[in-house]
Amino acid sequence: MDKRSFMFRLFSLIGLALLQVLILNRICLFGYVTPLFYIWMIIRFDSAMKRSAILLWAFFLGLIIDLFSGTPGLNAASATLLAMFQPGIVKLFVPLDRHDVLVPCSATMGGRPFAGYLLLMITLHHSVYFILRSIPLGDWTMLVLKVVFSALLTFVFMLVTEHVSGGSGTKR
Amino acid sequence: MRSLLDFLVRHSYVFLFLLLEILSLVLLFGFNDRQKEAFMTSANSFSGTLLEWSSGVDQFFSLRKENARLVQENTMLRDMLYELSDSQYVDQQRALSSADIVAARVVDNTIRKDDNYLTINKGSRDGLIPGMGVYNQDGVVGVVMVTGKRYSVVLPVLNGSSSISCKKKGSDSFGFLEWGGGDPYVAQLKDMPYHSAVEIGDTIVTTGFSSVFPENVPVGTVAGVERSKNGYTLKIQVNLSCDLSNLGWVYVHTRTADEEIESLYEQISD
Repeated sequence: MDKRSFMFRLFSLIGLALLQVLILNRICLFGYVTPLFYIWMIIRFDSAMKRSAILLWAFFLGLIIDLFSGTPGLNAASATLLAMFQPGIVKLFVPLDRHDVLVPCSATMGGRPFAGYLLLMITLHHSVYFILRSIPLGDWTMLVLKVVFSALLTFVFMLVTEHVSGGSGTKR
Repeated sequence: MRSLLDFLVRHSYVFLFLLLEILSLVLLFGFNDRQKEAFMTSANSFSGTLLEWSSGVDQFFSLRKENARLVQENTMLRDMLYELSDSQYVDQQRALSSADIVAARVVDNTIRKDDNYLTINKGSRDGLIPGMGVYNQDGVVGVVMVTGKRYSVVLPVLNGSSSISCKKKGSDSFGFLEWGGGDPYVAQLKDMPYHSAVEIGDTIVTTGFSSVFPENVPVGTVAGVERSKNGYTLKIQVNLSCDLSNLGWVYVHTRTADEEIESLYEQISD
């Protein structure tokens, strides 16, 4: 990995962590709905990245957020799991014959496949996150409500971000 | 053999994945058993500083409100002082309570989670140790759980593992205040004997038994009373008098139990 893209990733990691810890963690609709926007970084990992690099970035992203949220291991575990499946999930939404370097976004994947990709990624992450957080599991209805509504909120945030950034999918 | 090695190298990320997951889960289940180490919580000075800076910005915008509140509290205290001024009581109280309170600012707070914590900007350096009571002008906030050098994490009333002994104001029968999740303005008072005359609207205060809190710190008002399942005790819904979603400054009761009482308890448990 060249130095420039390393620095870019480092800054997006710090930026996303600050955004999550200082602003988004304080959002609390109806008492339990919180957007977990920080996984945006994992969503945008390009197809040329080494899988071990993806895992490490995701782990440290989650760990930093844990450090500030007083939830050691929670975000690290769910982000690492998401990172493990990210390359596979991207492949579900692009034609099999594509072999170019691809940054997942609406411009490179098309609007609908990208939205599907987002939904699947967010649902996977939020499910793991809320299941781990609710252990010992008891109230399943509450758990499902938390996952569904938090996932919807995160999804909306990401669509807005994608729209504002103009769906730019250029390789950085 | 060679192809096996190749396979392992090509799939080394799987081992990395397993390693990172195990590490995360050890952190998650190792630390969350109420024995959190200061360095992994917001009591560590790095995240404490960041959170303090951010809550500083928040508080700047609420200074006017905070000022009004302080003036109001001052007035109230002054009133009380006048009422008491000619009795010996003041001197007694002063002797009892000298330097037993540390004021701290809340730098991080959650009320939405199932288990909430809050961080204050005073730590072991300021004489805080785990087990000290935290309250503000409205009432009980929680108990210090972990102390870092400059910051501490407080286990607030709104946490499943919090339990604070409380009584009806003016009476002696007591119970334990707990919180079962959900509404952040309502907690439950359990184990109160069923013959105690508790009615809706009564004021609930701390007992002062454990010296975690001074006696008679307000906790809340009774919102509902019912018999518990076993029939011997009451289950009381309490509207908390302190709004935990909106905390600025809090007081830490730094007076710990009398050494004599402590040593007696130790003898019993030995």
